[in-house]
Amino acid sequence: MDIDKRTQELAARLTYIRDIFGQRENASMAMLRTRLEEFLEQAPHLGMRELSRQVGMLEELFVLLEGKLESELTPMDRVRIVRHPQRICLKDILENVYDNYTEIGGQDEWSIDPGMLIARATIARRMGKKTVHQSVMVIGQEKGHGQEFRNAGSIKPWGNANALYYMRVAEIENIPIHSYVFTPGAFPVEDYPGAAQQISKNLYVMAGLKVPIISVFSEGGSGGAEAIALADKRLMLSHGYYSVISPEGAAAIEGGLKDKATPELIERCASRLRITAADNLELGFIDRVIQEPPLGARPEHYDFFRQLRREVIRATDEVVDSVDGLGPLRGMAIRRQAKAADPQDIFVRWSLGGGARTKLVDRRFEKFRAMSRTACRDNRSLGARIYSGLEGMLWSAHSTLRHDFLARYKRHLLHMLEALEAELRALRQGVGGPLGKFLGLGDGQQRRLEVPPEALERLTLLSCPEEGACRLEDTWVYVSPKSREDRTLTCPNTPTHGCLDLWGPDLFGEFAGVCSHCGHHFPMEFQWYLYNVFNFAQAYEFNSELESSNPLGYEGFDLKLEQAKRQTGLGSACITFETHIEGVTTVVAVLVSPFRGGTVGAAEGEKIIRAAERAMLKRTPFILYSHGTAGIRIQEGTCGVIQMPRVTMAVRRYIEAGGLYLVLYDTNSFAGPVASFLGCSAYQFAVRSSNIGFAGPGVIRETTGVEVPPKYHRAFSALSRGHIQGIWDRREIKKNLHQALLTMGGKNLYYR
Amino acid sequence: MARHTLLIANRGEIAMRILRACVTLGHDFVCVYTTADAQSGHVRLARELGGPDRLFRINSYQDPSEILAVADASQATAVHPGYGFFAEDFRFARRVVERQRPLIFIGPSWTLVRDLGDKINTKRIARAHSVPTIPGSDRPIYDEMEAVELAQTIFAFQQDQGIAEGCVLVKASAGGGGMGIEEVYDLDKFRSVYRRIRNYAKRNLSDEGVLIEQRIFDFNHLEVQVLAERGGKNAVHLGTRNCSVQSLGRQKRIEVAPGFDPASLTYAFDAAGVLDAITRHSVNMSLQVGYDNVGTWEWIVTPRGEPFLMEVNTRIQVENGVSGVTSRIQGRADGADGVDVIAEQIRLGLGEPLGYTQQNVSTTGVGIEYRILAEDPLDRFTPCLGRIEAFGWVAEPWLQVFTQVPTLQLGDEPYEIPMDFDPNLALGIVWGQSLDEARARGVEFLGGLVLQGTDTRGEPLRTNVDFLKNRTQTLLHF
Repeated sequence: MDIDKRTQELAARLTYIRDIFGQRENASMAMLRTRLEEFLEQAPHLGMRELSRQVGMLEELFVLLEGKLESELTPMDRVRIVRHPQRICLKDILENVYDNYTEIGGQDEWSIDPGMLIARATIARRMGKKTVHQSVMVIGQEKGHGQEFRNAGSIKPWGNANALYYMRVAEIENIPIHSYVFTPGAFPVEDYPGAAQQISKNLYVMAGLKVPIISVFSEGGSGGAEAIALADKRLMLSHGYYSVISPEGAAAIEGGLKDKATPELIERCASRLRITAADNLELGFIDRVIQEPPLGARPEHYDFFRQLRREVIRATDEVVDSVDGLGPLRGMAIRRQAKAADPQDIFVRWSLGGGARTKLVDRRFEKFRAMSRTACRDNRSLGARIYSGLEGMLWSAHSTLRHDFLARYKRHLLHMLEALEAELRALRQGVGGPLGKFLGLGDGQQRRLEVPPEALERLTLLSCPEEGACRLEDTWVYVSPKSREDRTLTCPNTPTHGCLDLWGPDLFGEFAGVCSHCGHHFPMEFQWYLYNVFNFAQAYEFNSELESSNPLGYEGFDLKLEQAKRQTGLGSACITFETHIEGVTTVVAVLVSPFRGGTVGAAEGEKIIRAAERAMLKRTPFILYSHGTAGIRIQEGTCGVIQMPRVTMAVRRYIEAGGLYLVLYDTNSFAGPVASFLGCSAYQFAVRSSNIGFAGPGVIRETTGVEVPPKYHRAFSALSRGHIQGIWDRREIKKNLHQALLTMGGKNLYYR
Repeated sequence: MARHTLLIANRGEIAMRILRACVTLGHDFVCVYTTADAQSGHVRLARELGGPDRLFRINSYQDPSEILAVADASQATAVHPGYGFFAEDFRFARRVVERQRPLIFIGPSWTLVRDLGDKINTKRIARAHSVPTIPGSDRPIYDEMEAVELAQTIFAFQQDQGIAEGCVLVKASAGGGGMGIEEVYDLDKFRSVYRRIRNYAKRNLSDEGVLIEQRIFDFNHLEVQVLAERGGKNAVHLGTRNCSVQSLGRQKRIEVAPGFDPASLTYAFDAAGVLDAITRHSVNMSLQVGYDNVGTWEWIVTPRGEPFLMEVNTRIQVENGVSGVTSRIQGRADGADGVDVIAEQIRLGLGEPLGYTQQNVSTTGVGIEYRILAEDPLDRFTPCLGRIEAFGWVAEPWLQVFTQVPTLQLGDEPYEIPMDFDPNLALGIVWGQSLDEARARGVEFLGGLVLQGTDTRGEPLRTNVDFLKNRTQTLLHF
């Protein structure tokens, strides 16, 4: 009876330990196993008292050795812990942490996405005899202890859309959001909407959500995690992981997709990526770690739930405290009680007032802006840094004076002048009728064409002699080196469209890499765009000193980085500059695909943020041109993945200040950047024959086992599912861009 | 002179003429043909003159890669594009001379083909060299104000000229084939037409540029045949042609050399002066742009006798023979019955100097070229497909006939008119001492022509022979 149950529990604990440690068996495990086996052998021969004593001893041994094993956990073991079916789930948390809850995002498998669990929950706080129920919106992925329909917490786009909807509801109701991250990553499906499209929308909205957001990480896999985890306070369970990619994925990329990644390589990648709670705390991507029982929390650890409850309440209190002026005593008490046992007896109202709501968003931006600042190398000298700081301040002052202060009065003056001018014209044109006639201004006569004689002479002369009589069509400023080879290329559409073979010099010279028959776009160098579209020769490049580095000390990455820098002559995969496009001043950021596949790391993120800030100060449009990006740079681990919320927030600030943010895609753009700062723009355009999506066909095959059709990621599919707004021909990018700037920006190109 | 091997990248009668010119000049040749075209005259002639190893079958006359592969396989040293296909394709011309195994392109340099291939650009070049062009814009206009001003100026210009009903042509600069083009007779309606064309161009051609020109009615279409040597230092002209007899689709049907005949007809203006002006302008412009092969300067002459340059054709033309029969080069052994313009083109293309000046060139008599087609002039010149069962003509010393169709008698194996290519069946060129003699001989030729067949519906084949005969009487009247 009781003894049997306890013995079974011990056996289960041993199995769990074996699951966690995988193939490796060490001394402690062997000891536990032999002792348990010995006990089971002897058990039938023992008396009741002796049995009870021995079980007690065994239990103590288990506790002791579990503590010992805890210190031997490798990062990969932690990954196995969070993926174990016995790991705590969101439902356990709802039942044990909150006092009451109602599921609102669907029930069990009858939900738009059973992996995403949304609930309204209450937390009861007792002050003496008085009880106050505080509402929160709980959003998180539910793994359901291995229930198959939960899809292991891998969320489809519509699940994220549902979460977003209830976040907005929470904003309306002015209640805090608690999000629990239990996901290995988003489900890479391109539907209506696509995975990247929805995640970017989530990030964009969360960046401006005016309620406190607390997120708790257990399993934080890249984009899927970010979709609900852009928070004011980010807590992490001590056995959780938060990473840019699963260790298996990293090993697959590291080892080359051909041969299967070995377990050793996966272990090595897991430790190199620095995915554990302690690492993330050290790097500053989370605020606090919640200590779990040894070898991870399971549903029976009630103490742990109590602690978790305390932590989320405290985190919410702190966020509210930081923006809403609490009473001085309570504020002090909260801060002092950080280490105290039970913080429940201080009441903090969780619904924020008007001023605090805007302040909260600013604080959130500042918090993320400060993250990963040291993860890139700044090669400027101290003097240069001081100078640029001063310059920035000067510009900021100038911007305030010119655009905020003067503009207000200028508009009044201009309106007056316009009205006056219109009056005068009306008078001159004789609209006044009798008045005009009286003044002799209007002529009621049959008109004879009045044309100055010199105009008649000009009719058969060269209209612009200074242009010469040369061809009018543009010739490209930058000519691709590929156009100097005498070779014949076959368009990939030849079987279906019957395109004739193309001659290299024609194709890469005059045709700009576009098949003249079917319009298929062959890839072109990024320099082609820099010089022929963005007028790079007359541009002012800034922040070129910011260079990519190896913040995690990822083994072997320094060498690859040096190689990329040498090959491209760039410091990072991003070039930012200020330029004129047909006379319109714009700030442009370019993601360059030859540099490590155009991946985004800390340096690239920082450069894009600074470019957006510059565009905001100078009130110019901001164009982000993705010449190709493979996603977030995995070797930078969380320093890379944090760029998703960071840059999205910066871009949102720019857009909300009234800026025009335009995104242009070429070749292949995938994963993180598309699911955040690229995808969140309202004006996204793609060059024909480009591919846009969340995960490439290979990754989809590996993670979901589905073979996607060949044109799954084509720009035209992205257009039809509403991700992008238009498709442009490469030869006409400049014209279209100018047109877009003229129509989407107002007179001064800074609108709203 | 070195012996060359010319790849003739064309078909039909022009391929035959090039072939004969090659043989006359002592060069080798390579011919290409497609399966649909295996019956054509140029295949027979090539087999006759060069043997089966001079013939290559290809899939398409329009695939440059395939043509150049044939050139490599046959060790050709030069390519003659003829007319149509690659004749005005500057990319092909460039590719021919810039590939790893360069060939000689029998035609002007590719930059000239490019620059003069664009009508608007030609207009700018012409204006830069003070050659008169049609009043109006010489570049796409994007600004509405500018467009309206220009239209106003053109209407005023026509008022000054005494043209009762002025007309302005508005067309999309990227357009063609009769789309996106409209006439405006009233300045008040101009703005709405302009906007309509601009929106059409923006939607369908993705270029908002619009051209605005004076619309000229009842003009005559004249041409000047120019020959220039490589290097562009010397150029002569072989007189003018009048190509005003055209089908509804503005396709030429009868060409007459010279362009006007002031000796036997009276004109409302100084016709001799006009001919002199256009030849002078054409040769000057050719020298100034450094033109370096044969080419045609196309002019329109208004009823008031004003010539305006319309375009430049940087290739040999169908009607080159009619200039040939009326021209004589002094001191040339073969110059007794005219000049072979194609042979001259090959000679110049291979880099030989011209060898004579304008003083050595004289024009004599009147030549008329008829284009004989299977088409129905009474029904909008609709082409007529079918087979030819009988074909023949009476040989005369003053007559040249160029055709890819074999001479047939009733009962012979009929000739199927291929439907993939241009519908020309034959060219007949007659020559006479005077206009009257030429016209009489033209009627005689057309009367003696035997051309019978059935179309695809089993009815008799319709041809334009009667149309040509009727129009002969009024040639060169203006």
